[in-house]
Amino acid sequence: MAKNLEVIEQSTNKLTLAERQQKKPKKKKNKLKAVWMYTLLSIFLVVSIFPFYWMFIGATNDSSKMFTNPPTLLPGDQFMTNLTNLNESIGIFRVLFNSLFVSGLYVVIALAVCASAAYVLAKYNFKGKKFIFTAFLLSMMIPYQATLIPLFQMMSDFNLLNTYFAVIAPQLCFPFAIFLLRQNFLAFPTELMESARLDGASETRIFISIVIPSMRPALAAASIFLFMTQWNNFMWPLVVLNTNDMYTFPVALSSLMGLSYIDYGQVMMGVTLATVPIIAFFLTLQKQFISGMLGSALK
Amino acid sequence: MKKVTGLVSISMMLVLSLFLAACGNGGSEDEGSGDSNKVTAWAWNINVPVLEKAAEKFKEENPDFELEVVEMGTDDVYSKLTTGLQAGGKGLPDIVLVEDDRVQGYMSAFPDAFVNVSDKGFDEMKDSFPSYKTELVSKDGAMYGFPFDGGPTGVFYRTDIFEEAGVNAEDIKTWDDYIEAGKTIKEKTDKAMIGLDLNGDDGLYRMMLNQQGTFYFDDEKNVALTSEESKKAMKVQQTLNEEGLVKETVGWDAWISAMTSGDVATAPSGAWLYGSITQQGKDTSGNWGLIELPAFEEGGNRASNLGGSNYMIPSASNNADLAYDFMEFFSTNKDVQLSAMEGGLFPSLNTIYDNEAFTKEVEFFSNQPIWSLLADEMDSIPAVNYTGDYAVAKDEAVKAQSEIANGKGIEEALKASEDRLKNRIQ
Repeated sequence: MAKNLEVIEQSTNKLTLAERQQKKPKKKKNKLKAVWMYTLLSIFLVVSIFPFYWMFIGATNDSSKMFTNPPTLLPGDQFMTNLTNLNESIGIFRVLFNSLFVSGLYVVIALAVCASAAYVLAKYNFKGKKFIFTAFLLSMMIPYQATLIPLFQMMSDFNLLNTYFAVIAPQLCFPFAIFLLRQNFLAFPTELMESARLDGASETRIFISIVIPSMRPALAAASIFLFMTQWNNFMWPLVVLNTNDMYTFPVALSSLMGLSYIDYGQVMMGVTLATVPIIAFFLTLQKQFISGMLGSALK
Repeated sequence: MKKVTGLVSISMMLVLSLFLAACGNGGSEDEGSGDSNKVTAWAWNINVPVLEKAAEKFKEENPDFELEVVEMGTDDVYSKLTTGLQAGGKGLPDIVLVEDDRVQGYMSAFPDAFVNVSDKGFDEMKDSFPSYKTELVSKDGAMYGFPFDGGPTGVFYRTDIFEEAGVNAEDIKTWDDYIEAGKTIKEKTDKAMIGLDLNGDDGLYRMMLNQQGTFYFDDEKNVALTSEESKKAMKVQQTLNEEGLVKETVGWDAWISAMTSGDVATAPSGAWLYGSITQQGKDTSGNWGLIELPAFEEGGNRASNLGGSNYMIPSASNNADLAYDFMEFFSTNKDVQLSAMEGGLFPSLNTIYDNEAFTKEVEFFSNQPIWSLLADEMDSIPAVNYTGDYAVAKDEAVKAQSEIANGKGIEEALKASEDRLKNRIQ
């Protein structure tokens, strides 16, 4: 008996020993893996951060410093000069206001329009629903170049050229945002809506007080997307805006790109200023955005 | 319920403000139509101060005159102009700046879209401009634009590198001399002679074609990529490349940077390069020189053109007469044209070439009077045919150039490009 026990004990000991022996190299392997992982990640980090760093270098240096060999890698002292020059050429505050106003208003209205459309397409049944939804999706396939001139002509006929309205209106109903929101609305429990109905809530009330609040993450994702779209929108504002004081950021920055002379200090300063609001907007909505991703992952 | 009404009223307010904003700015749209003393112009950066200065002077005689310059990027001007013309002349300005290589394209794609300035009396001023410029803006003998700046060419070179290698730039008379000088420089200083974007741009090839009085197309608008002149030009580039005298510079910025940082010794280019190198290579002052383009044979033509622009008046302008008066003043006023030089633009108005601004010594170029050298060229620049198919032809020429750089025979590559071009423009 005792012998047997001993044998068992020995064998377990052996096992643990063997295990230990196995574990040691494993740990080493893991460590090695981690080192590789972090090296790789740092390389990616540098690759993705460097353009922003270079942008900052450009914004604080004289234009000619961007062309030296070896390249200038330290921030310079031309920050204020570039800022003043840029303000003189494009009028930063006016342009910033235009861009913020256009993008902000666009997000609010487009979100209202797209969320309503998505809600109807997700939760109501009516004739031709599928057709309408397919039509929305198909419209994503039309390249904007094809609609540019007819739209321009339309705006010109309505005498709306060079207005904020002309910049905002054409894209208010944004197929991708409708699609995104519809998929999220589909997951909303219909039973909740029904019980609200039994309690006597109107359809508008159900939408605004019950559905919308629980859809915050999806709405945040959609609004980041819409904001980016409008903030970066270039071709359409360029075509419909006719005076420098109406320009949005991308159009104003592009006006710095002359023929034989480009002041990169100004350009980089402008790009820096144009990037800040997007980062701020993302950070504000980040919490919602990430919880939205987690939420959908848990499903 | 309170929350609901709150939301509704907020959104109502937003919609309202949107429409108010729309109305508020609606007034500024109809420039030109409502305000008969106001002229709008589209131009890119360095041209804006010139226009503004001209407007100031024009106001002395016409106190009510008003000019609104809308500043935009060069490519943006074309995007907006093309859209407006496509839409049948909607939302266009009274004056628009168009580069040399685009003028004929616009005139042939939109035949009635621009005002015939010969009808309005601009023919009288024709002699004040070099013939290659006036021919460029003409169709069937009538002018449709005002010649503005030109791009007389030369070889910009780094005097410090040439000195180090012991080469005298003034001795370079032909392209063969140029190649020989390049070899010496390569040997002594290990620097490249020239920066070329072999797969992206064909500026040198175009200069050499223009210099020989031809272009992608001949005078009858036939494709001429396989002409003798074209082969000779490609031959020069091929030799430069084979001898290892070329530094590949992809894009404009790399090209400028190669020169300002002293990686290449020379840059054959248009006069406007002055503006770029003086701004971006501030600390290289005094290390530059300029010679005329080398000729293909001893005593041959050394004048050529690269770049330049012209002003045009769209027919849709409601204020074409005033726009014409202003542009005639702009184009022929000596002070206005001299002010263009401050931004690095080279005016094509030839009545000012005896001015001090042209004869003076330029410090940046080791006190060489570079402007008079360039001005002397103007009358010898051959007029060539850009045609409306310029962009496609350029695309094919770059392909041929790239293939030759990769070892294909000159004749073969040019023939293939010519055939493709003929197919594309049928």
